[in-house]
Amino acid sequence: MRVPPGVSVDDFSSALTEFRRVVGDEWVFTSDEDLDLYRDAYSPFLNEPEERMASGAVAPVSTEEVQQIVRIANRYRIPLYTISTGKNLGYGGSAPAYSGSVVLDLKRMNRILEVSEANAYALVEPGVSYFDLYRYIQERKLKVWIDCPDPGWGSVIGNAIDRGGGYTAANYRNHFDAHCGMEIVLPNGELLRTGMGAIPEAQTWQQFKSACGPWIDGIFSQSNYGIVTKMGFWLMPQPEAYMRCAVSLSRYADLNPLVETLNYLENSRITQGFPDISSPLLGYGPIGQIQLFFERGPGKSSPEQQKLVSEATLGFSPELEAYAVKSGTAYWEVLLSYYGPMEVIEAQWRATQRHFSAIQGAKFRIVDRVTLPLDPAKIESYHEPEFGVPSLRAFSIGARTPWTPTPSKGHMWFSPIIPRTGEAIIEANRVFGAAARQLDMPLFQTFSLPACYWERSFIFILATPVTEDPATNRHYREGFKKLIEIGGQHGWGEYRTAPVFQQAVTDVYSFNNHALRGFHETLKDAIDPNGILSAGRYAIWPKHLRGKQS
Amino acid sequence: MKSAGGLFALASLLISMLALPVIADEVAPEYAAGREVYLKWCAPCHAPGITHPGTHALMTKYQGVKSGVLLEWTDLPASTVKYTVRHGISVMPQFRKTEISDAELDALARYLSRNTPQR
Repeated sequence: MRVPPGVSVDDFSSALTEFRRVVGDEWVFTSDEDLDLYRDAYSPFLNEPEERMASGAVAPVSTEEVQQIVRIANRYRIPLYTISTGKNLGYGGSAPAYSGSVVLDLKRMNRILEVSEANAYALVEPGVSYFDLYRYIQERKLKVWIDCPDPGWGSVIGNAIDRGGGYTAANYRNHFDAHCGMEIVLPNGELLRTGMGAIPEAQTWQQFKSACGPWIDGIFSQSNYGIVTKMGFWLMPQPEAYMRCAVSLSRYADLNPLVETLNYLENSRITQGFPDISSPLLGYGPIGQIQLFFERGPGKSSPEQQKLVSEATLGFSPELEAYAVKSGTAYWEVLLSYYGPMEVIEAQWRATQRHFSAIQGAKFRIVDRVTLPLDPAKIESYHEPEFGVPSLRAFSIGARTPWTPTPSKGHMWFSPIIPRTGEAIIEANRVFGAAARQLDMPLFQTFSLPACYWERSFIFILATPVTEDPATNRHYREGFKKLIEIGGQHGWGEYRTAPVFQQAVTDVYSFNNHALRGFHETLKDAIDPNGILSAGRYAIWPKHLRGKQS
Repeated sequence: MKSAGGLFALASLLISMLALPVIADEVAPEYAAGREVYLKWCAPCHAPGITHPGTHALMTKYQGVKSGVLLEWTDLPASTVKYTVRHGISVMPQFRKTEISDAELDALARYLSRNTPQR
């Protein structure tokens, strides 16, 4: 039997007996065979001693069972680690941050409690996946859209509280921002509801976010202060029509006005959908079309273009720019998308063209112009999540394809946030490019473009492979940490990361001698004095483990 | 009885709609439970076509020697299904018992190995 660190065999046996009494024998796991199912399938420490392992797993089916488990864990000081669907691949999967924890697996809590079409919201439990919620809505023919990330099997709650994002309109893409109301089991087993849910018989729990008094929802994301057992989300009413349009620009220097114009249009809600910047000239495709790269292979470019691109510095040379003009190849292209009544979005596209026309030589084209809902048989012609349709298509990243003959074992995402300017894109390429070449990392080797998941900022989302070879994985881990550190020196930080990098990433957020970490620790000690909940998650350690972890 | 090709085309169309529970039942009743597990957990990656990364990976691996579509395999023992689901392979993760229970995995393995002669 595996035993959590610092817990006696007797205490652990007693706790397991009590867990079984709560959830039934079937839902307490202790064998090596069962616990290996909780390994992080994409662990950068794959098969190394540092790989984080569970000592047990317990799977409640209700909030009441979660409360009882938490009380038992307090009594025996058992470290618990909460997962929702356990599919946070690339960001830690189903493995605990603190090796030896007992995984509290909430997958069985999979009830969709309410979907309101009239007021466009949903209330769900943590085990509900995007596929589950999508099917529920489709079966009832409700005219609301979910916003999902690329992998559709993730938890709606889990993704939101790890602060993930999606692809539809701006006010739904940020999944934590789109939530409205939480129910939380606190580390002492007490039940808390936030927002209007704090009113007994609340009438507007999913309709008004902040209620009255301190709005505490944020502290239950990327943290370990409680277990979220219910959460509300605002949904987008099914739009009448969709347009995706392209703006192409011919000069390197157009990147700055491109971003400035995009920012104005997005911040003014003249365009609502996921903006996607690419460079046909540099061979860097839009991130929302990345699946096409793995399905159909890289685009074709002439030997002359390839040579000029390989000789360019930070994506530029006068010869390359001359080639762009001569061949009519766009230096930059931004895909903009629009959701709404056709007459409204056509007017928005006209306004978009008027604003971009200030950039000399800007070219415009309509890529898609469709009324909704789409014919389901044609959904695969599109990037499904931009229509609120979950899929697993993005797993072509790293999988075996004719263009990836040796598949990887997984990947870890390097995802720093940088300012929404053209200058910042070039500066990040300069800094990370030089570092990546020096560190021999497979990122930023050519000119990379960031994504627009979040409003107001850019984010790079770049995959570093996980392999079967520990030496290669060690090399990538060390390089990854170094890139995090270098980003921090330039004022850039990751938005999210896997447990093995959470210390390194949060080290960057060090203003005023780590005042933020100090505050997190003060909260941890007050809310969870026995330190039983998800120790180490986002590098928040309980007092008895603080400073003792790498 | 529809031809296998027609059935797969139909399955492909319906899977692409993600209307998973409503596929017209063409399998023997003893495989119905297994197919339900397949549609929920496997089809999003293993349905026909290169937009399904599992299928694309297997097409690439077998280079036409055999199909990339698991449902068409005639050499897939139940034990291989069970091992792969519980251990994962390449970027496919393993699946926990709270996702696919042992009973569901038995049903899935029976369904996917239904065309494989037993030794």
